[in-house]
Amino acid sequence: MHIAPIDPRALRRHIVRMAYAGRSAHLGCALSLVEICAVLFGGVMRYDRSDPLASERDLLLLSKGHGVMALYACFRELGWMVDEDVRNYLANGTRLRGVSEADIPGCEVSGGSLGHGLPVAVGMAFGLLRQQSERRVWCIVGDGEMNEGSMWEAMLFASHQRLGNLTVIVDANGFQAMGNTEEVLRLEPLAAKFAAFGFATVECDGHDIPAITAALHGGGDGQGRPRAIIARTVKGHGISFMAADNRWHYTRLTAETLAAALEELR
Amino acid sequence: MRHALSPLLLEAAEQDERFLVLSGDHGYELFDGLRTHYPERFVNVGVAEQSLVGIAAGLCRVGFRPCIYGLAAFVPMRVLEQVKIDLCHGSLPVIMLGDGAGLVYSVLGASHQCGEDIACLRSLPNIAVYSPCDAHEFRACWNEARQASHPSYLRIGKASPDEMHPGPLRGTGPVVVCEAADARARGVVVATGAMVRMGVQCAREHGIRCISVPRLKPAPVELLELLSGVQRIAVLEEHVSSGGLWSLLLEMLQSAGVTGHVSVEPIGLRDAFTQTAGDHQHALSEHGLDDGQIADRLTRWLNARPARMP
Repeated sequence: MHIAPIDPRALRRHIVRMAYAGRSAHLGCALSLVEICAVLFGGVMRYDRSDPLASERDLLLLSKGHGVMALYACFRELGWMVDEDVRNYLANGTRLRGVSEADIPGCEVSGGSLGHGLPVAVGMAFGLLRQQSERRVWCIVGDGEMNEGSMWEAMLFASHQRLGNLTVIVDANGFQAMGNTEEVLRLEPLAAKFAAFGFATVECDGHDIPAITAALHGGGDGQGRPRAIIARTVKGHGISFMAADNRWHYTRLTAETLAAALEELR
Repeated sequence: MRHALSPLLLEAAEQDERFLVLSGDHGYELFDGLRTHYPERFVNVGVAEQSLVGIAAGLCRVGFRPCIYGLAAFVPMRVLEQVKIDLCHGSLPVIMLGDGAGLVYSVLGASHQCGEDIACLRSLPNIAVYSPCDAHEFRACWNEARQASHPSYLRIGKASPDEMHPGPLRGTGPVVVCEAADARARGVVVATGAMVRMGVQCAREHGIRCISVPRLKPAPVELLELLSGVQRIAVLEEHVSSGGLWSLLLEMLQSAGVTGHVSVEPIGLRDAFTQTAGDHQHALSEHGLDDGQIADRLTRWLNARPARMP
């Protein structure tokens, strides 16, 4: 099937409009994974644009559920959501919440509590492999989320069971809620850790579309090793005054900062 | 009761190709039959209870019907939040078996003992909670859980070779396990799980009625009918009374407007960890729940007030 490329600037416009409408935090951690989502939905993942619940779709799980506005932005571009969903984001009684929830078509997992999405993704990949299905599982995790012990439990199992149909994408934006990931709880060398856990691991610039595309398109190693892509990203990327500024993990947009952001994204 | 499990696992594997069992490195010979006949249906995920629940949820979401096994102290207690989010929130039909519930692991102390699982799970939406007392109740609960479209928890307490029921049960509602000539006169013992054995023994001795309650959630509403007109009830459980069957019964009586004239005596675990090593009866004795203490407490309770005149 033909899948049209998705414009990261269009995704970022949806994100800042949603964040403003919903007075939402977690802007920076959505902006860092825009290009990753754009590449996944722009031709890497197998899915049916007319049906987010199509039975033979690949499964994309946003384990770092707080970045969900990036997914919603994709859904808006794909027509799975309408502009009203953007304008009324987080309004009383609306269906979209501030973290990924499994009951929203396209979301697949409830990722608001960190350290849940990857074990579920691993279970799905294990099940699909047993069913000899061609479907693949893609799981976007946060570098801050890698603090959770359940992530490493799931990685052990994925490697042990040779889940070659699983790709873990780390949105390595270098920040977590209260600071720099290296200062809070040292994670590096992250790629070496994934490799040591048995993952076929590559690093790439997480905002460089051709680089991400090459990393995600790279097939398995033929030995059934699960894959890990360490996507080096910048929190708040794409909007100059948010980039690499962790205050946008929790700062709300004002009419002025919204206008300034949209101006940059024209 | 535990002996009933192995053949049921084998039967489930035969009947349903989607069925598989996941364990967090526990269970030993319990799974021998399954592993012999259907080796691919048993998955040991390792000592990793958190991902055990997540992996089961993922398997369920792609069409499997997983059953996860652990010691109750770990599944569900260690992974309560995974149970809440990965299983209950999506209402996934995953069966959890919590073995060794109560004070079964007496010598291993607080880490392996579990007197709070019912209270915790009862507060989560979408899950069914069972506490069977013998193989008949276990089969009834298991069959109901396998048909369910939501998560279920089966609490497996101290194994007893005795069957409390004469034969198979039709459902999981409360059942009279010891009948009395005048069922309402002196008082009724309501018990669940491993404590039904002592409930029946004491009820026979005193000629009073004993009711077993295998399903705790959804609430066993039929219990109100069985207790209609009864003014004195003793609730026997190897679980903290607060949040357990005692609390449940008080809630049900209150909701039904039955208040004031009914006294409900808690005979369950104290709000305390066990302090010393010893066998199961010794651990129970720290809570006033060994066989002799229960018999004494029920006798004192029955003699505390004159029987109600009909």
